[in-house]
Amino acid sequence: MLTRFISDQNLPDFMQKLRKFGGIEGPLRGEDGGVRFGNLSDGTTPDIHAIRTLLPAKKYLFAPEERLFNYTLQEGYKILLEDISPVTLFALHPCELAGINYLDRLLGGDAPDPHYAARRSQITLIGISCLPDEFCSCHISPSPLQALSDIFMNIVEGGFVVTVYSSRGKEIMEDMKDLAEERELPVPQDARRFFGVSLPLNVMSEIDTGLPEWQKLADRCLGCGACSLCCPTCACFNILEFAGLDGVSSERIRYWDNCLFKSHSMVAGGAVFNKGRAERFIYRYRHKQRGFGPLRGVPSCVGCGRCRAFCPIGLDLRVLTELLERSAV
Amino acid sequence: MKKLRLAITGMTACSGCQLSLLNCENELPDLLEKFDFSFFPLASSPLDLIGEYDASIVEGCVSMPHEKKLLLELRNRSRYLIAVGTCAVFGGVAALKNDEEREVLRKQVYGSSSIVESTFRPLPLNNLVQVDASITGCPPEKMELLRLLGGLLAGALPVDSDYPVCTECRIRENICLLTERGELCLGMLVSGGCHARCPSMAVPCEGCRGPLPEANLREALRIYAEKGFDRETVFARLRRFCPEWRL
Ligand code: SF4
Ligand code: SF4
Ligand code: SF4
Ligand code: SF4
Repeated sequence: MLTRFISDQNLPDFMQKLRKFGGIEGPLRGEDGGVRFGNLSDGTTPDIHAIRTLLPAKKYLFAPEERLFNYTLQEGYKILLEDISPVTLFALHPCELAGINYLDRLLGGDAPDPHYAARRSQITLIGISCLPDEFCSCHISPSPLQALSDIFMNIVEGGFVVTVYSSRGKEIMEDMKDLAEERELPVPQDARRFFGVSLPLNVMSEIDTGLPEWQKLADRCLGCGACSLCCPTCACFNILEFAGLDGVSSERIRYWDNCLFKSHSMVAGGAVFNKGRAERFIYRYRHKQRGFGPLRGVPSCVGCGRCRAFCPIGLDLRVLTELLERSAV
Repeated sequence: MKKLRLAITGMTACSGCQLSLLNCENELPDLLEKFDFSFFPLASSPLDLIGEYDASIVEGCVSMPHEKKLLLELRNRSRYLIAVGTCAVFGGVAALKNDEEREVLRKQVYGSSSIVESTFRPLPLNNLVQVDASITGCPPEKMELLRLLGGLLAGALPVDSDYPVCTECRIRENICLLTERGELCLGMLVSGGCHARCPSMAVPCEGCRGPLPEANLREALRIYAEKGFDRETVFARLRRFCPEWRL
């Protein structure tokens, strides 16, 4: 296949030229050892081999805290869409891309969320290949294998084999002709295909909510919400409105919400649907493995492994997934 | 719109919560437009309680007969009574020694002096009166105080948070001081809302905002034990801001 090759030596120049298309955000390893998506300004070196960042790139599309509307007496509710400048998200793993693809369907579908759509329209996605570790389960999730990006870079000996998937990607690579020579090269096979044993994912089967395992998980869960904050596809939100000090204006703010919080299923009058932690776990599992609403049947777990890696007590829903899928076969 | 009449005062505490409000310098002119600070001894010469108040905002816990009298009086005269700060909500540092004999404590501090007023075990406000809303924190976040006041203008009371400090700590992408560094961070047992102030500066959470409503104490103790902290150490730390934590 005719592809482009960028050598390791040319990567800094590639990045430099890429800045023309907007700011670049990618994985940076901090002095404390933590890897976070951050601005790849001139002189910074992305950690392209880092296995996972603390938060996924969803923070760029769907902010943890976002002012949606202002209310004033004169204008009523006014939607706030600040000027959003173009951003290139660099070195996204396939699970990360699959997460964004999922959010695109969820928040950018038929009735797009205006704030999401505004940010998304300014974003270019550059994917990168990776090697899974023991927390990853991308090989059992169908979506990472089909994840879409504008440009995808496969890490090979001495550089990257680059494939282009969109007109925006093409436009960028047109500009990189001097740095990325055209070559007849095989696109490497996805390493993840060889990782682990694939489970039959019978996504529509009913789940056994009577299993004692639910309660066992629930008894240990701290309700910290780390597992959902760090999930590339978790997009539940809470909206609060705060009155201004002038007695008439207000601001409406959207926050990341979390199905492991009691307030998540609390309705007017104080009634709570998912009272106990076990119910909340079943709910989370249903969503992650079975899908919801119009995406019913599409698992929203993309297998990034963050929830397992960052849960303070190391809870692993994979155990239940395997148990349930086996009993459903 | 008629200005809202407020009574703002402190019981046994350090006045830090009231100071947090006075420190909102940028907003004070706006506040004066909308509120009548009818009783606010810390900010102006003491006045008598006169008439009724739209809200009483009270800092500190109750440990002296005159405080108890004032609190009941404020309750009777106010539409809303709002506890502000960890002492008012949970007892806080003022209640740190609640497990010990008052008489012994009095002697330690005042010796044989007889001029000391009579005191009793410091109590959070809701042990004595109905509290309509609470804002925790030692001291509370300025933003929360301003939102409380804005809310009062709109006829709303603040909602309680039900997530721990860890939630905001993760949102800020901090390296976990407990799981990664083995430090005694109380974040998972403590009510959030401070944007994980301390862990974001690499300092473990001391628990100043008091207990999370559904804290999973059993599991937390298991993790702490794994990291080498026994129950006594954990509880001694937890009780600094809320004496109600029990083994
Ligand atoms: S459920 Fe866990 S493994 Fe799956 S995408 Fe979310 S954080 Fe990653
Ligand atoms: S990260 Fe673990 S402890 Fe925290 S809410 Fe999720 S499952 Fe519970
Ligand atoms: S550092 Fe403390 S507050 Fe932050 S996640 Fe760890 S335990 Fe929670
Ligand atoms: S991190 Fe803990 S000790 Fe620090 S302000 Fe927040 S609740 Fe208080």
